[in-house]
Amino acid sequence: MDAVVTTRHLTKRFGPTVAVDNLDLEVAAGGVFGLLGPNGAGKTTFLRLCVGLLRPTDGHVEVLGVDATARPDDVQSRTGYLPGTFTAYGNLTARAYLAYLASLRGGVDPDVVAGIAERLELDLDRRIDTLSHGNRQKVGITQAFMNSPELLVLDEPTSGLDPLMQREFLAMVREAAAAGRSVVLSSHILTEVEAVADTVAILRHGRLVTLDTVDNLKARAVRRIDVMFSGPPPLDTLAGIEGVREVHGGPTSAHLVVEGHLAPLIRALAPLDVADLVTHEVDLGEIFLAAYDDASSPAGVED
Amino acid sequence: MSAAVLVRSLADQRRSLTGWGIGLVVVVAVMSALWPSVRDMMTPELLASYPEAMRELFDVEAMDTGAGYLNGELFSIILPGLFIAFAVGRGARTLAGEERDGTLEMVVVTPVSRSAVVVAKTVAIVLGTVVLGIVLAVSILVCSALFDLGIAPGDALVGSLAMTVLGVAFGVGAVTVGAVVPSRPAAVAIPAAVAVAAYVLHVLGALVPTVEPWRRLSPFTMAIVNGPVGGSVPAGVGVLAIAAVVLGGVAVLSFTRRDITSP
Repeated sequence: MDAVVTTRHLTKRFGPTVAVDNLDLEVAAGGVFGLLGPNGAGKTTFLRLCVGLLRPTDGHVEVLGVDATARPDDVQSRTGYLPGTFTAYGNLTARAYLAYLASLRGGVDPDVVAGIAERLELDLDRRIDTLSHGNRQKVGITQAFMNSPELLVLDEPTSGLDPLMQREFLAMVREAAAAGRSVVLSSHILTEVEAVADTVAILRHGRLVTLDTVDNLKARAVRRIDVMFSGPPPLDTLAGIEGVREVHGGPTSAHLVVEGHLAPLIRALAPLDVADLVTHEVDLGEIFLAAYDDASSPAGVED
Repeated sequence: MSAAVLVRSLADQRRSLTGWGIGLVVVVAVMSALWPSVRDMMTPELLASYPEAMRELFDVEAMDTGAGYLNGELFSIILPGLFIAFAVGRGARTLAGEERDGTLEMVVVTPVSRSAVVVAKTVAIVLGTVVLGIVLAVSILVCSALFDLGIAPGDALVGSLAMTVLGVAFGVGAVTVGAVVPSRPAAVAIPAAVAVAAYVLHVLGALVPTVEPWRRLSPFTMAIVNGPVGGSVPAGVGVLAIAAVVLGGVAVLSFTRRDITSP
């Protein structure tokens, strides 16, 4: 199948800041493409370039086979877009606002809107300025999905949603992909991308650091694990275990940085006198440590 | 032009237009209600006692007619100010304001073209100002009948047309600034500064002989040079209308060639 997004030397500068730097990227049609990166990595800029809100400083971006800069309206008619900070007219009800956007899109079946709203438990008859952040985000999700676009471009789509709604949303993304539509979504939460994406790109400073399948990326992920012992930690033993990259000791605990699968570590810990074990959420910054393996650029925390 | 965007933008103006319309009616009614007592006061001795500068500027000699009274009291600064303030406020809000709020990008990202969005929003400003102009014409005619100002329907229309076109030119100017730069303060400040400069030029031109030749470049002078109540439609009104069209063209060209900012 063709690519839904193709960029060539895509560059976007804002004054002296380079937000997207000479990006060559191809997003295959069908499936879910996850875009990861810390704040300021260029994710939002990339997505806004794709939907024709921004014009490249240099290079090209083609979406659904159409030049997004020269013919943005042709891209926009086939794309659903949820911006990172979605803002609707507060003085309208969700229903009136969605009807307005639907009229700009040439009409949408109101039953489809009602169906999505019901799924997300969104009350369409409330004024948007009386809705919580999470409920406003549901309005944004609804407008992106409501005309069943060929391509969904979603910027940090789960922000503000509670865990149940996040799950419902991710199910909607999976269903869209199963129906043959393509989804490009950005996030800084690995677990979220992991749950739906087939392919993941990691951006840093506007450049593509990694483009890989989720499975491969997970194998390279770095996680932090705290192990508590009844007595002094056997630091030397721990340091010798396959995958353990760093060991920091406390009086009765050890803090490990582990790359890849945990099986070797678990096997090695089993005979030891482990009192407790805490594994921390895989943090994007630490993914970068693995992706880069570059001591001079510590974790991707920047803003 | 997108009809849906036009209707939405007009609906957004409803409340503001109602407020400005009521304000306008009150101003016209109060000023008109004062006319009978002013008329009885306007003796030749009193007129002669005004300083020369004031007589020039407010055309005090003409104050002994209802039309002259309205020209001096309402159409010299209050009404131009009201029309410009309304149109600039709405013009700055509709594009630059919505872009800052983040609501504009959701409209732009639909298949409706950017030029269709700008044109619809500009037309909404024009129509809003026209509604205000109609309110002005009607309230002048009603007040003229109530307080015996003796304003002919045609004269009320010419005066209202001059105010409307003046407002439209500045309102479209505010849309245009917003189309060029995504800044609501700039979209208010730049037209406001031009309006103040235009007024200063209009006043200085009346008082200072060396400035007088430049006076006809002032949008104020263009709109009210013949009164505006009681005169013919000045050519300047046509110039202002053309300026509004040119500014609208600049707005379309700029807005279709730049980035849409996110809040």
